[in-house]
Amino acid sequence: MTLRVAWLLARAGTGSRAAAVLPIVAFAVVTALLLAVAGGAQAFWSWRDQTAGVYQVLSAIALALLVVPLLALGGSAARLSARRRDDRLSTLRLLGATPATVARLTVLESTALALAGAVVGVIGYFALVPAVALIPFRAEALGIPALVLAPWAIATAVAGVAAVAAVSALIGLRQVVISPLGVRTRQNAPRLRWVRVVVGAGVIALALALTNIVQIDVGITVIAIVLGCLFGGTLAVLNLVGPFVLRLLAGRQARRARTAAQLLGARSVLESPKAAWRQVSGVAMTSFMAVFAGTGVAVLNAISGSEGATASDRALVTDIGTGLTITLVISFLMVACSAGVNQAADVFDRGDLYVNLGYLGMPRRIMDAARERTVMWPLVVVAVGSAAIAAIVVLPLAGYSLIVAPLSLLTIALSIAAGIGLVWVAMRLTRPVLTARLAAAA
Amino acid sequence: MASILSARDIRKTYGSTVALDGVSLEIEAGESLALMGPSGSGKTTLLHLLAGILTPDSGEVSWNEHGAWQRVDQMKEARRSQLRRESFGFVFQQGLLIPELTALENVALALMIDGVSRPQSEQRARQKLAALGLEGLEDRRIGQLSGGQAQRVAIARAQVADAEIVFADEPTGALDSHTSEEVMTALLGATTGQGRSLVLVTHDETVAARCSRLLRMRDGRIVQQTRSIPEHPGITYTEARS
Ligand SMILES: Nc1ncnc2c1ncn2[C@@H]1O[C@H](COP(=O)(O)OP(=O)(O)O)[C@@H](O)[C@H]1O
Ligand SMILES: [Mg+2]
Repeated sequence: MTLRVAWLLARAGTGSRAAAVLPIVAFAVVTALLLAVAGGAQAFWSWRDQTAGVYQVLSAIALALLVVPLLALGGSAARLSARRRDDRLSTLRLLGATPATVARLTVLESTALALAGAVVGVIGYFALVPAVALIPFRAEALGIPALVLAPWAIATAVAGVAAVAAVSALIGLRQVVISPLGVRTRQNAPRLRWVRVVVGAGVIALALALTNIVQIDVGITVIAIVLGCLFGGTLAVLNLVGPFVLRLLAGRQARRARTAAQLLGARSVLESPKAAWRQVSGVAMTSFMAVFAGTGVAVLNAISGSEGATASDRALVTDIGTGLTITLVISFLMVACSAGVNQAADVFDRGDLYVNLGYLGMPRRIMDAARERTVMWPLVVVAVGSAAIAAIVVLPLAGYSLIVAPLSLLTIALSIAAGIGLVWVAMRLTRPVLTARLAAAA
Repeated sequence: MASILSARDIRKTYGSTVALDGVSLEIEAGESLALMGPSGSGKTTLLHLLAGILTPDSGEVSWNEHGAWQRVDQMKEARRSQLRRESFGFVFQQGLLIPELTALENVALALMIDGVSRPQSEQRARQKLAALGLEGLEDRRIGQLSGGQAQRVAIARAQVADAEIVFADEPTGALDSHTSEEVMTALLGATTGQGRSLVLVTHDETVAARCSRLLRMRDGRIVQQTRSIPEHPGITYTEARS
């Protein structure tokens, strides 16, 4: 029964094409990137020598890092899917469908979109392989054969993406009320506690202490592992503290705002700091990691340049740098996808409001500026903020590397700036969604 | 009384649906005009055409800007948008206030988008809210207000830039009769009470009865006009229009 209704819904009217295409494109990009990274990881897992373990662990970390933005994207896509069907879903409720049926429908639909996107993503992956094959590890290009995944692995990844979409759709739906009168986002006053900040400060202090204890000459592998643990711990803390900090800063911004767009932007972050955080938390990780690992690479570089280092140590350091850059790029791409999808959902969410603000004479320019601020402002705060925290944690190393490798820090700063630019482009791409919504009302 | 907005033989179709089928109308300074008619008869469309939200397929809409008549239907969207910001005000059925802003910010925003500084906007917004009996509620968010209070915030927003005409589309449609009466009093006080005009769509005869003129519509035409005579309230004269 659910399936039949879903099919009818899917066929009845095209709704907004952009709203269906966006999640598909986003899931396609994510799947292609995920498969490409998995291909790279597979190449490492065939290695059998002494340092192979480090490569394997690092590639696993990179994969794990990418799952977080993937989850965020799944949630956004579900929200968009519920929104897009706004009228029809509430009509179904009006006709007597239970909330459970309607929820199943929405989950089904966003899973179907994810599946479609994942299949397109597989094609994208094969298109990417020749380019990825050129990336050198251990001073040698990876080569196409090492990157091609087995059919079962590809199928698992596609199923995995669909499953993630389904689960995050379920979670995302908990934030949406589908009533006979319409689809509304649940309004829960966010409660953030000071405890978070205290715990956060404690863990960062601990990390700081640990970095100081680590002796630089205990061997590259040990350093890499310690860095990994520090990284994970601090990351968890960032997640704890992030929403809280965003709320404080947004509150200050709302008081100080001088233009309509500034006020609207700050207030909508304030409305749900957690949601604002979720949207950019992928970048928090990435930019944190960029500074953290980037500094590590700079230091290791300096060590491996010295006499005691073996050739394989030197290769490892170069390769960590390469892997870092790749993960940076990919994670920004994913955040851009998820931010784009989320903004599209937001336009549907608040379509009537935007239309009526247009009636009042608010130019679309201001609406777009306000929408963009709600993403770009937390993004910049979070990117710069987590980079700064990472810098503090690795200060003992960073001070050193600043002298040794100013160039690597410049690279990191440029990558972060480029990533922010990427998200900005994604924001610009959602403008037609608002334009279409406003035009439909005229 | 001087006419400030004029529509001449305006038509509007959506595909094969004729929403407005040749309507002519003058709006005078200081009057309150009620539009009634069955749903789908073209009331909202007429309101949107008069306010420059939509443009007619044919016919003219003209706006009397301090004695100089301007063709609204020939203006570019940016200019019409400016006209709506500066000279018109709007109240909708659901208020459609911005939920994450406070009452004060919602009202001030209408001035801020027109380039007025925030302190100045908030000062004027504060005055308007106080005039509508909302003193002390400035910092509440919209969700913390009752339906009637939210509608009065919307009225303050519509009037904060001293609009010459306020357009209201079923402003009391979602309210009970007691609250509806309160909101109507506020709306009239903020418009005709200040020498401004009000154009109002309603389904409620008691609401319409408080306006100085009533137009009934059917199938995209005005079919009846009733004018109450201010010196003799209760005496009305009705003319049929074809
Ligand atoms: N955007 C639109 N697209 C298509 N048809 C419309 C649109 N807006 C209004 N209509 C049609 O125009 C007619 C008049 O609508 P409207 O002015 O909203 O009536 P009222 O406000 O009196 O209920 C109706 O038949 C309606 O279906
Ligand atoms: Mg209507």
